[in-house]
Amino acid sequence: MGRSVITPSELRDAAQKAFPGDVLAPDRDASWASLVEMGWLLIDLPEEFGGLGLGRDATTAIHLEMGRVLSRAPLIPALLGLQAIAASQSLPNKQDWIDRICGGAYVPLHMLPAKVEGRDALTGTITGVFDADMASYVVAQLGERYILVPLDCTGVRLIERTMWDETRRVFDIELDGFVPEIILAKDETAKALHDAISANAQLALAADALGGAQAALSATVEYLGLRKQFDRPLAMFQALKHRVADLRIGNGTAEALLWSCAKNAETSITELGAMKAFVADNYRAVTEEMIQLHGGIGLTQEHPSHLFMKRAMLDLHLCGSPDYWHEARGREMMKALSQSS
Amino acid sequence: MSEELTNFRAEVRNWAAANIPTDWREAATHAEFVASQRAWFAKLVQGGYAVPHWPAKWPGGGRSLAEQKVIYEELARGDAPRLLLSFVSTYHAFSTLEECGNEAQKARYLPAILEGETWCQGFSEPGAGSDLAALKCKAERKGDVYVINGQKVWSTMAQYADMCLLLVRTDSSGAKQAGITYLLMDMKAPGVTVRPIHQIQGDEEFAEIFLDNVEVPVSQRVGEEGAGWAVAQATLASERGLTLMELTYRLRGSLSRVADLIRANGRENDQGVLRDFGALATQVDAACAIADRFLENRMAGIEAIGDASIVKNSYSRALRAYSLFAVRLGGAEAQRRAPITFGDLTTGNWMADFMNSYAWTIAGGSEEVQRNIIAERMLGMPREPKGWVVA
Repeated sequence: MGRSVITPSELRDAAQKAFPGDVLAPDRDASWASLVEMGWLLIDLPEEFGGLGLGRDATTAIHLEMGRVLSRAPLIPALLGLQAIAASQSLPNKQDWIDRICGGAYVPLHMLPAKVEGRDALTGTITGVFDADMASYVVAQLGERYILVPLDCTGVRLIERTMWDETRRVFDIELDGFVPEIILAKDETAKALHDAISANAQLALAADALGGAQAALSATVEYLGLRKQFDRPLAMFQALKHRVADLRIGNGTAEALLWSCAKNAETSITELGAMKAFVADNYRAVTEEMIQLHGGIGLTQEHPSHLFMKRAMLDLHLCGSPDYWHEARGREMMKALSQSS
Repeated sequence: MSEELTNFRAEVRNWAAANIPTDWREAATHAEFVASQRAWFAKLVQGGYAVPHWPAKWPGGGRSLAEQKVIYEELARGDAPRLLLSFVSTYHAFSTLEECGNEAQKARYLPAILEGETWCQGFSEPGAGSDLAALKCKAERKGDVYVINGQKVWSTMAQYADMCLLLVRTDSSGAKQAGITYLLMDMKAPGVTVRPIHQIQGDEEFAEIFLDNVEVPVSQRVGEEGAGWAVAQATLASERGLTLMELTYRLRGSLSRVADLIRANGRENDQGVLRDFGALATQVDAACAIADRFLENRMAGIEAIGDASIVKNSYSRALRAYSLFAVRLGGAEAQRRAPITFGDLTTGNWMADFMNSYAWTIAGGSEEVQRNIIAERMLGMPREPKGWVVA
């Protein structure tokens, strides 16, 4: 069966049709069903496994649109989990797993570190598992191993950790003497897998953060145009215009950096992580101003500003904090520039 | 492609190592600095690296954007002086003449730029800065010449320039933009007086120009009489476009100077310093990325109003952050007054560099004017009501 190539801009249009910008944080289960139906889980899956094999710019375009509407559906952890499974060289019946997942079975990768001890019997916590209530298995990275953890097994317990970010449901998985049976990758292959997954994770989170920042800025500009005080729209005050212009500069710069990284296969993991930190911090700055510029209404739950701000704060810390990535980038630069002179 | 570029980088690096002057920082006077600038420009022309952004028919022109970036990065890495003296010539004068000049003007002036003829810009006036169209410098047509009277200010390297890109008012009756005319003025013409201005870091990078009955032949006009505002946009567009590609990649190349400073201070394991250095590197990457994107869009003909303003502000902030970080690392030592090093934004004389970084937040349309453009013309926010009253 021949497939026509889908361009990122076609994906963007389809996403905007399915998830219009005026419906923020749409229902999770309906969103999930819809994105499974549209085949988004197939986007970057290699063609040999029945996927579309599209590149980073395709997934970036989708995650950007999901960020714009504050999507509750856990597409990022689902795609990362699928990536680990597709890359596994030791998983029995791999194609069955892939088919089930592409049909909507949710097998996420966790988005925060695991603190787990033991080799054969594992005890500890896997944190940052998005929407574990709808998952049957979770992909866990434990040191130099990637394993599959079934959630209905003895020694495995789910605990919901309610976050300030209401658009994500986040769980811890507590392991108490859990004996792993399915190893996806270990040692050198696990290391290579980690690099590949980490690159996609940083790009996906940065795209989410950029989409959110763009939506937050549009909403703020619109509000300033509507709200009148002193017989004129707030948008006419230069003091406010300059602040909004600063946010637009931040968004434009973040957008250029994100796409230059998405299109350049030679960008290092550290550069990608530092890029995510930069883009997510811009998201934070935009939402901080969004609340201030909306005045009293921005301080309430009757207005969506708070949803953007809380999501920005969480994006900053998923898959590596800004402090971590900035320091790593600093070290990488020192090393690279030591050969210059 | 990638391999070709790697080879090209090696070629530029080798050329740079063999040709970049090492004594330019020792220039103690402007005369020495200007002499070293002329020599360096001549060398670059000879090597084929002076005008990579010009079209291919010129020696050293026709370089791809990727090759241009390599040249700028490698020259900065090799600690080459910036081409301050020929900056306006190779960018502003070139773009203006190439886009709007007639054939005689192109033939007379473009080859001369490569031979070392230098240009300055006579745009701003004491009463016309951010509001450039309010300029008053007056030109009266008398037969075959315009007679000019007025004053220009903030003209970079005007005291050494051979020629001037001059905006004058030929008509004050209608809209202020409509009465502006664009002239090419010989700086040696009788009635031209130049007074250098002392900047806060002690340099005299720019000057005032006084014009007292200066005669400029009508044949030196670019475009029609009264069409100067449109021609000036070509000059300004080059400033906010191509120049920023050079400057951002130069800044990226100059990160090595900060790495050297970190090592010299024994702070290569200081977590706070490493974090801030990493964040600075990413900010510089972002400024490069948006300069790239801007030029790609411009070449594809999809430049949007306000794009250039975003590029300029991204760069000016990255430059300020760079010099502030270096001043911080330099500690009290960086507060000792050092003899100034002429003509660069990243000299390693960190306080001077910090002070010089204002050139990019104020010159060429201040940050505040860029913000107005972004808010009003890009985001569609309303202008303030015209006129004002003291309550």
